[in-house]
Amino acid sequence: MPKAFDAANPPFDRLTPHEVETLRAALDVVYFPPGESIIDQGASSGALFVIIKGTIEERDGTDLLALLGPKDSFDSRALVHGKSGHAFLAREEALCYSAPRHTVLDLIQSNPRFASFFYGDIARKLDEFVRDEDEQRHGSMMRARISELFLHPAAFIDADDTVGTAGRKMQEINSNALFVRDGDRTGIITGMNLSKAVILKCRSTQTSVRDLAHFDLVTLRPDDFVSSALVLMTKLNKRRIAIRDDERFVGILEDIDVLGFLAGSAQVIAGRIERAANRDDLAAAARQTTAQVRTLRRQGIDVELIGEIVSDLNQRLLSRLFDLTAPAEIRAGGCLMVMGSEGRGEQTARTDQDNGLILSGAIEQAELDKFRTAFSGALSDFGFPPCPGHVMVSNPAWSKPLPDYIADIRSWLALPDDTAHMNVAILFDARCVAGDTTLLTEVKAKLIEMARGEQAFLAHFARAIDLFPTPIGLFKHLITSAGKGDAIDLKKGGLFPIVHGVRSLALEHGLVETATDKRIDRLCDKGVLHAEFARELHQAFNFMLMLRLDGLLAESAGATGTLVRPSSLSSMERDLLRDAFYVVKKFREFIRHHFNLGAF
Amino acid sequence: MFKRGPVDEVVAIDCETTGLNVRTDDIISIGAVKIRGNRILTSERFERVVRPDARMRTDAIKIHHLRQVDVEHQAPIRKLLHDLLHFVGGRPLVGYYVDFDIAMLDKHILPFIGIELPNPRIDISSLYYELKYGDAPPNISVDLSFSAILADLEIPSLPQHDAFNDALMTAMMYVTLRDKKKRGIRIPRSNSQAASDPFGGQAFLA
Repeated sequence: MPKAFDAANPPFDRLTPHEVETLRAALDVVYFPPGESIIDQGASSGALFVIIKGTIEERDGTDLLALLGPKDSFDSRALVHGKSGHAFLAREEALCYSAPRHTVLDLIQSNPRFASFFYGDIARKLDEFVRDEDEQRHGSMMRARISELFLHPAAFIDADDTVGTAGRKMQEINSNALFVRDGDRTGIITGMNLSKAVILKCRSTQTSVRDLAHFDLVTLRPDDFVSSALVLMTKLNKRRIAIRDDERFVGILEDIDVLGFLAGSAQVIAGRIERAANRDDLAAAARQTTAQVRTLRRQGIDVELIGEIVSDLNQRLLSRLFDLTAPAEIRAGGCLMVMGSEGRGEQTARTDQDNGLILSGAIEQAELDKFRTAFSGALSDFGFPPCPGHVMVSNPAWSKPLPDYIADIRSWLALPDDTAHMNVAILFDARCVAGDTTLLTEVKAKLIEMARGEQAFLAHFARAIDLFPTPIGLFKHLITSAGKGDAIDLKKGGLFPIVHGVRSLALEHGLVETATDKRIDRLCDKGVLHAEFARELHQAFNFMLMLRLDGLLAESAGATGTLVRPSSLSSMERDLLRDAFYVVKKFREFIRHHFNLGAF
Repeated sequence: MFKRGPVDEVVAIDCETTGLNVRTDDIISIGAVKIRGNRILTSERFERVVRPDARMRTDAIKIHHLRQVDVEHQAPIRKLLHDLLHFVGGRPLVGYYVDFDIAMLDKHILPFIGIELPNPRIDISSLYYELKYGDAPPNISVDLSFSAILADLEIPSLPQHDAFNDALMTAMMYVTLRDKKKRGIRIPRSNSQAASDPFGGQAFLA
């Protein structure tokens, strides 16, 4: 049938046109009245259903796990493995396509890419998903616009100006090319042109630039594709293209920046940070770091690796800023640490400042205050907003001598309240970025030592995993998406429970790693987590981090990048997210059981 | 044909025609689909384009997009009747203003087998009227257009004026309306037809 069946909807987009016809010919349409059970828990299913209209509930016993809406399909487990993990029933009147089991199984046999959607195991599904994304990555890079790239400023000199003037101007604006105005025409002159004239042709620095400039400008518009620039540069053998918005020159695009954009240029930024001589240099590098995330993501780089690269760049940035702003006494006897997601290396887009200072001894108050203000102030200028909980160097509670931290830990463990739990979590994720590492090592060793065997404390600590319930209802499509109603909070519902559950286990086992994925690996080594489950947890975590990063990039102007709108995801992504939340749910149960949380 | 069809089976049917005059116009395509219980058997459909006896008219071509050249090489309706009657059997026929489609078919069936179609008829517009306006005060404005019913029942709109798509949409309307009737649910007459949101939006975060 149904010509109307949407074969562009994943996973059906992986079928060949011939396979789509086979599927279409076999489809029926089924109506379910409200409350009707479609697949019972543990039952097999003779068909794969794809929702046309209405809402289907997915239930585990009495728990509502998810609401499925138009274009969602169910249930691959019941179909392929002959046993549904969950029950499915119509919440309201529903119409579904029904594809017979044998037809779908035939397609699974003949088409491995389609088959990957039906793997029982989320890790395999995700691997396949990432591979698919990889194939698209070059396309998306080439579809980028020139305006997204770094442009050298459009600075002008007059054709009558001298070589010397041009050279000084280039030095001044830190650019290697200038526009030359000569009556009605505009040309370009580069540092290389100047050098050649002076060194090879022995021209005086008083020569006017008119004869040295090139007036055969190649121009493009800011909204032209990057790929156009690359083609022009190759074809005309030009290293620079003038970017003009109607009559106005807006900048110069150099080949090195195009290549840097395509290849990613984390190492270039790292170099810029190391060489930075002042706060302004650092501010420029900080801006580039943000742009870098988008590039890396486009290249299809794994989100874990992006986290590492960005953490590394931020670490260098903070370290350099520390060197520039801290007096010698603090540099020698202090340890600058980052905490929260930055500490765990999961900070993929720039967010709040989350940092602190451990001092080996007392520092003269005026000097310390000056540094606190200067450091946090500079970070604000770089675009790191202050931490809402004031976990930053400017707060005396988070910049003080080592013995004070140890006294704090003692009181947090003795009188645990919500604030104490939060502070332990913050400190336990801390990572040293500059100064004396041993100070943080000592503080953490003390924390681990004091928490060891404190089962009551650890259980209270772990309880926070239940602060936010796993979001349900997330797959319901709303007709109106004007409000925030159809968005789900990935951070609260998915990322936080994993981060905190893993953190609780890591604290119990005295792990020194800070990254969640590394903690999971170590917990697996120690036999705390089953290998299979550790892999699922790891993959689910990565998938949600990736969705969150995409959300952040999409809404880089707004502040709510942790919200994901199911309606903006493909049904494949929704299906994976559903699996990921199922892993979160299993992990919560594991933590509850492990710390005996039922006792509360 | 006189034998009753299998219990709980009906056939949704739609014909595209050269025009709306039963006497002078003719059928150019027929779409039909069986409904068994709550299942619409699109996998066993009946879908044929016919070479009409009457001449194609420009205004009708604009509606169904079948041109003279598209139908020229098709079989005349006489050759399809056997298959159609076999497909339909004794099952009740469901359609939107189904009397018109049946009248069109009867023009050919009467000479073919000597009688008109005896099947029970179920008209979607009547079923809808009954559930929506059955208890309405007089003078209320009534909209029984195909697209109004479709929108009211929130049935996805397929490209219309394709005999099979129309038959399928009719079938979806039928299963929905029949179930509402069975459950004693009336269709509200308020103007608002906003989609219901059982959670009230915010609950997504709860």
